[in-house]
Amino acid sequence: MNENVIEVENLVKYFDGRCVLDGINLEVPRGCIYGLLGRNASGKTTIIRILLGLEPPTRGQTFLLGVESTSLSAKVHGRIGYVAEGHNLIQNYTAGRLAKLCKDLSLHWNDKLFEHLTEIFHLPMDRRIGQLSIGMRAQLNLSLALAIEPELLILDDPTLGLDTVARRQFLELAIDLIGQQGRTILFSSHILSDVERIADRIGILAGGKLAVDCALEELKNRVKKFRLIFPESAPENLYLTEIVNREIEGREIVMTVANWNQQKQDMLETFKPSSCTELPMSLEDIFIECTRPDTVLAAHL
Amino acid sequence: MHQARYGVSGASVKGDRKMFTLIKREIEDHIAYFLGAVILSSTLVVLSVWAAYNYKNEPPVYSVGLSIPVIMILVIGFPAIGVSQMSTDRNRKISAFLSALPVTRGRVLIARIITGILAILTVLVPLTITAMVLWQLLVPPIPIIYPLIYPCPIFDMFVTALLMAFACYCLGLLTGWASSKATTTLAGLGLTFVLIPLVAVKGFGLHTTVILVLFIIASLIRVWQKFMSTPL
Repeated sequence: MNENVIEVENLVKYFDGRCVLDGINLEVPRGCIYGLLGRNASGKTTIIRILLGLEPPTRGQTFLLGVESTSLSAKVHGRIGYVAEGHNLIQNYTAGRLAKLCKDLSLHWNDKLFEHLTEIFHLPMDRRIGQLSIGMRAQLNLSLALAIEPELLILDDPTLGLDTVARRQFLELAIDLIGQQGRTILFSSHILSDVERIADRIGILAGGKLAVDCALEELKNRVKKFRLIFPESAPENLYLTEIVNREIEGREIVMTVANWNQQKQDMLETFKPSSCTELPMSLEDIFIECTRPDTVLAAHL
Repeated sequence: MHQARYGVSGASVKGDRKMFTLIKREIEDHIAYFLGAVILSSTLVVLSVWAAYNYKNEPPVYSVGLSIPVIMILVIGFPAIGVSQMSTDRNRKISAFLSALPVTRGRVLIARIITGILAILTVLVPLTITAMVLWQLLVPPIPIIYPLIYPCPIFDMFVTALLMAFACYCLGLLTGWASSKATTTLAGLGLTFVLIPLVAVKGFGLHTTVILVLFIIASLIRVWQKFMSTPL
């Protein structure tokens, strides 16, 4: 089934005359773990807030589970789990009271799963939220979101503030969760290794646009980085289409190319480099290339 | 998967139960105001009974003495509940949290307003019952002036006081949700001090009721519009 759980159509958002999102189009099919990446203030949280109807768009439309975000009913909200950036939980409540409130207001609540999660995270349920550490708040927020067994889980930088062990536990849980048929996760994070580990599709926001929107493997195949060494000085006129970045130093050129193919390989060989080595690129390397202010990668992907 | 592993005890919750949960949450969060309302109401009831028996032959002293604290409660107490409800929400991002649950913003606001009305009734109902009992016991029978509208003047007074208190409460809601508190507080106080002379001049009755109802409708529409359109 290829039903889209999340749809964003030509989304534009201005804050005080500043364009944050400029014509975003995005589709997330059912069962997909979508990693939304971007630098600080690139608009990741804004997209999520608009999707959840917490923020109005300036132009364009967004849909969650087939319903327009501005008119999401309580029933639709009941099928969505949300972990907000900064974990905006009610500070003066104890964890237990907050859990009781969420349980009473939810359409569906799995007590045993919630208890299991609070045990894993060692959450003190009698302590006030304001007295919990950021990590504990993140864990509580995640436990609350998972206890409703959502069809769609939206995680806005959920691992922020978690230590390595807790982060690993969280990722294992997320992977476990996706194993359930038809469950979809929209995951925004600054920790690229986390996204790389669990996401099967990636979106990168840069300059208000969705610079990249493709499967993780496809992205890695499409962007290549080479170190070329020439017998004499490196040629100044080495031009290929879709060069993202190029650094020349003596006999050496290090360049990043988008949409690498045989034609480009043949073209490169006409410059007769004495050696051509492909440098491995992690998601972090690709992300840095995509979000550089002078990057042209957005236009090529 | 989790269902198989952990078992499911959750069940679908009906809308009215959710509304009850939201109202309960509001009352628990503002329990101090409810306790204050009960204490004030009890004090006023005791004072009324005491004054009614001790100043039987001096009705102006009795009525003026009682009306001052009632007006003070109307002007300060009820707007304070509205301000407290809305500013607590704004500061602690309660609506933002609740809106991510299966609760619409509209329901959050309706639950809040119902809680406000309950607080108003906590003060006014005991006072009205006391006044009605004292009226029956101490005041000689008089002809009913508006037989088609209200059965007795005490009921007139109760309706006007209820509407007045609710109007002040609505101004409190608006002030509490506004980002520029100083301007809205001044505007709210200004409107309150227009409403009090209005009641003083027009008295209790249909005209005052209509004006207050229109004022309340306008205030509620503004509160609804502001609350529903503000990004959370």
